Amino acid sequence: MSTTEEKIKLFRDTYSKVKGEIGKVFVGHEEIVDGTLIALFAGGHVLLEGVPGLGKTLLVRTLGEVLDLSFSRIQFTPDLMPADIVGTNLVMEREDGRREFQFQKGPIFAHLVLADEVNRATPKTQSAMLEAMQEKQVTAGGEVRRLPPPYFVFATQNPIDQEGTYPLPEAQLDRFFFKLVVGYPSREEMTEVLNRTTESNQPTVEKVLDRETIMDLQKLVREVPVASHVKDYAVRLVLASHPKTETAAPIANQYLRFGGSPRAAQTLMLAGKVRALTHGRFNVALDDIAAVATAALRHRLILNFEAEAEGITTDHIITEILKEVPRQIEMAEA
Amino acid sequence: MSGLQKIEQVLQRTSRRRRLDNALRGLWLGIFWAAILFLLALGSYKLLPVPVEILLVAGCASVFIMLAGFVLGGWKKPSMPDTARWVDERNQLKERLSSALELEKEPTGSRWKELVIGDASKHAEGLSLEKLLPLHLSKFARWSVLILVLAAGLGFVPEYRSKDYLQAKEDQEIIKETGRVLAQLSKRSLENKPPVMQPTEKALQAVNETGLQLAKANLSKDEALKRLASVTDKLNNQMKEMAKNPALRKMDKAIRQQDPSSNTPNTPSEMQKKIDDLQKALGEAADKQEAMDKLKSDLEGMKQKAAQMASQDGGMTDEQKQKMAESLADMAKQAQQMGAKMPGLEAAMGALMANQTDFLMKDLDMAMADLEKMQQMAEAMNQLQEQLAKMGKDLAEQLKLGQANAAIDTLKKMQDQLKQSSLSEEQMAKLMEELKDSLKPAGDYGKVAEKLAKAMSQSKSGKNGEAAESLAAAAKEMEDMLGQMGDMESLMASLEALKKAQMCIGNGMSFGQCNSRARGWKPGGKMGKGGFGTWADENGWMALPQISELWDNDEDTRNLAAKGISDRGEGDLADGLNPDKVRGQISPGGQMPSITLKGVSIKGQSQVDYSQAIATAQSDAQSALGDEKVPRAYQGAVRDYFDDLK
Repeated sequence: MSTTEEKIKLFRDTYSKVKGEIGKVFVGHEEIVDGTLIALFAGGHVLLEGVPGLGKTLLVRTLGEVLDLSFSRIQFTPDLMPADIVGTNLVMEREDGRREFQFQKGPIFAHLVLADEVNRATPKTQSAMLEAMQEKQVTAGGEVRRLPPPYFVFATQNPIDQEGTYPLPEAQLDRFFFKLVVGYPSREEMTEVLNRTTESNQPTVEKVLDRETIMDLQKLVREVPVASHVKDYAVRLVLASHPKTETAAPIANQYLRFGGSPRAAQTLMLAGKVRALTHGRFNVALDDIAAVATAALRHRLILNFEAEAEGITTDHIITEILKEVPRQIEMAEA
Repeated sequence: MSGLQKIEQVLQRTSRRRRLDNALRGLWLGIFWAAILFLLALGSYKLLPVPVEILLVAGCASVFIMLAGFVLGGWKKPSMPDTARWVDERNQLKERLSSALELEKEPTGSRWKELVIGDASKHAEGLSLEKLLPLHLSKFARWSVLILVLAAGLGFVPEYRSKDYLQAKEDQEIIKETGRVLAQLSKRSLENKPPVMQPTEKALQAVNETGLQLAKANLSKDEALKRLASVTDKLNNQMKEMAKNPALRKMDKAIRQQDPSSNTPNTPSEMQKKIDDLQKALGEAADKQEAMDKLKSDLEGMKQKAAQMASQDGGMTDEQKQKMAESLADMAKQAQQMGAKMPGLEAAMGALMANQTDFLMKDLDMAMADLEKMQQMAEAMNQLQEQLAKMGKDLAEQLKLGQANAAIDTLKKMQDQLKQSSLSEEQMAKLMEELKDSLKPAGDYGKVAEKLAKAMSQSKSGKNGEAAESLAAAAKEMEDMLGQMGDMESLMASLEALKKAQMCIGNGMSFGQCNSRARGWKPGGKMGKGGFGTWADENGWMALPQISELWDNDEDTRNLAAKGISDRGEGDLADGLNPDKVRGQISPGGQMPSITLKGVSIKGQSQVDYSQAIATAQSDAQSALGDEKVPRAYQGAVRDYFDDLK
């Protein structure tokens, strides 16, 4: 790829193509698809939450089909062990009959990992994911093994049937780029789902994006310029979520125990850049930051007892913070 | 023009327009607050007793606020980045312009910079400033106009002031005006008649200062009256101190016996000179008063006859003319015998002969005028002679009678005599005798007796020159006493003014309206204890209670038989003067009930001075008003009528 314009054009075209291909199989939920793709091009992991049967797994699997990347699915169960994810040393017999230990890579060794119902596994197993998601490497059998770039983890979880589950710890939650809540489809969308899934003609998708292109486009995303006041806006949003601080929004003081980390600000920035490119701009806008704020922050804010007692959600808090934090300081003062 | 330049051009124009918009908004905000301030001030003025200056202050403050709003609004020049962000936000440019401005600082070569600037430039080209920032009236403008309309309407509402406040204001105005007049009067008195004694000067200056205080400070009625009472006390004390000098009493009495309104000479020599002048002018007619009266009576008869004859048909007959001519000749003879020059008579005879009735009448009038003039001169001469007769014959008598000017004149003559070296022994002895007799009466005149004694001693020692100086010193001492008299008069005049001021302020009238000619100190116009004598005494400072109480009048006698100059009996009213009571309707402003009286005509010339008669009438009116004998509704009219008498 030569010029920046060509890269940008390629990005937009690729984005549209991937989205289109996904759209052949996954009906509706455009914002979920956008969120997933934003996270993909930003190089982040996604946590998909929704009741069973909404297509969370289908989305990720379709994404795996569209991308020319290695894909693995891990179904998390309570009895799942870390070794089941990471891999283990197995005794293998060589051709000459000698036996030796060979490391068998676990399903985590893929470019795209679908961690289904991640909250059903034990914390020990969940923590095995932690290192992989953050460090992009695993330590197994005394050896550190790097995971192949690009590396994405798409986890799903069920908000109901919480009995016998292990809620993801804050540390692991913070490693997810976005948390996307999959809701019920609309009437039209459900009709379309029926059309596509219960008839003889089943849609198929093509691979439109390979590993090198993904990595190039990820680099391109990081080149997108951000004005200082846009950056400042992202920072102020995150700071507003910190309770008991000078910059805290009143609602944060009232309902939050902990706010977003610097990782949240990084997420806002990268997601904003992707969104700017997808909207045909060469610079990040305040609207871009505001648009991705909910997905970026909802899993990073820890509610206090009062919020839980009153049934206040993090989405509500983020909405209020977006209202209270002015877009621009000078204009706010005027 | 590069993309960045286009962007900067647009942003600069926008920045200027924003600044203007801010300034106008600031102006309207200033007008809004200024209007509120003025409305509050106007409301306060309408409801509360605040001075009208508050509106002026509020007005000035309002103008200042408006200007300040405009200046402060447009003071801060919006920066380019701020304007860029503002335009991005207003036009939904998604931070294109602001990002372009920031990237402009990046090193060249960055493709992203070119892309961002190019993209921003394309969007900036299509911007319309008029649509982006139309200059319009802010919301404050509507409210400001509404408030200003309210204020304008409120301006027509009459301000509410309680009766007490209005009364207090009126009192303050009266106090200030009274103070101004009082200060002017006292200042004029100090300038025209500078006091001789320092305490008098201080007292009069205190009056002036009090007047100035009343004029300048906002005093209540009580405070003003208190200050006036305080300075009145000061003056009274000063007068009491001065009145302790018995010489002043004598001198005042002597002065009062002269007619103060006429230009009567004060010294015997001046009187004599005046008498001589009149004598010379009158000639032989000087002592022929009865002849002049008869001639006047004849002349009046002649005039009447001439008028009758001239008005009858056919004019005068020859016989009448003849008789008239004979009468005129007879009168001319009388005048000639009197020694009076009356050219009018001869001219009248000529006009009669020439049948010129008009000229006849005129000539007769001229003759009458000449005769009246002579009569006046004769009368004046008689009065002077009477006054001269009252003058002391020598220094001792003059001192005894308090005739200070005469005494000074005598002392000066003595001084001249002593300076002459050719004084005979007899003359010297006479002089010494006169000085010796004067020592006792001079004892009342401070150091005059001492000076006279010194002069005597020096003269006996042959030191006539030094004796003359001693006499001059005595004369100077007398002059100083006269000066003290003047001080007393000034103090009295100031006291009068203070009393009038107190009355004006107490009654709530202006200085010109009220007249404190309160004759007498008790109802009925009776004198206070000790003061008695002629009507003239009632005006003098001696009549003041605080002065009259100091005098011992045991030695003074009066004519118990005479009651005033013209005896009017025991005071019973003649039958014709008994009033018939009329019950009338009281209608203030309308005609008062009237009483018809049959009066008794008193023939002859009145011997009472007109001003004295007025004074008496005013005093009686005052007492009647004080005794509530006049219906309340008519008191003002009665008071005004009698006060206006001059």
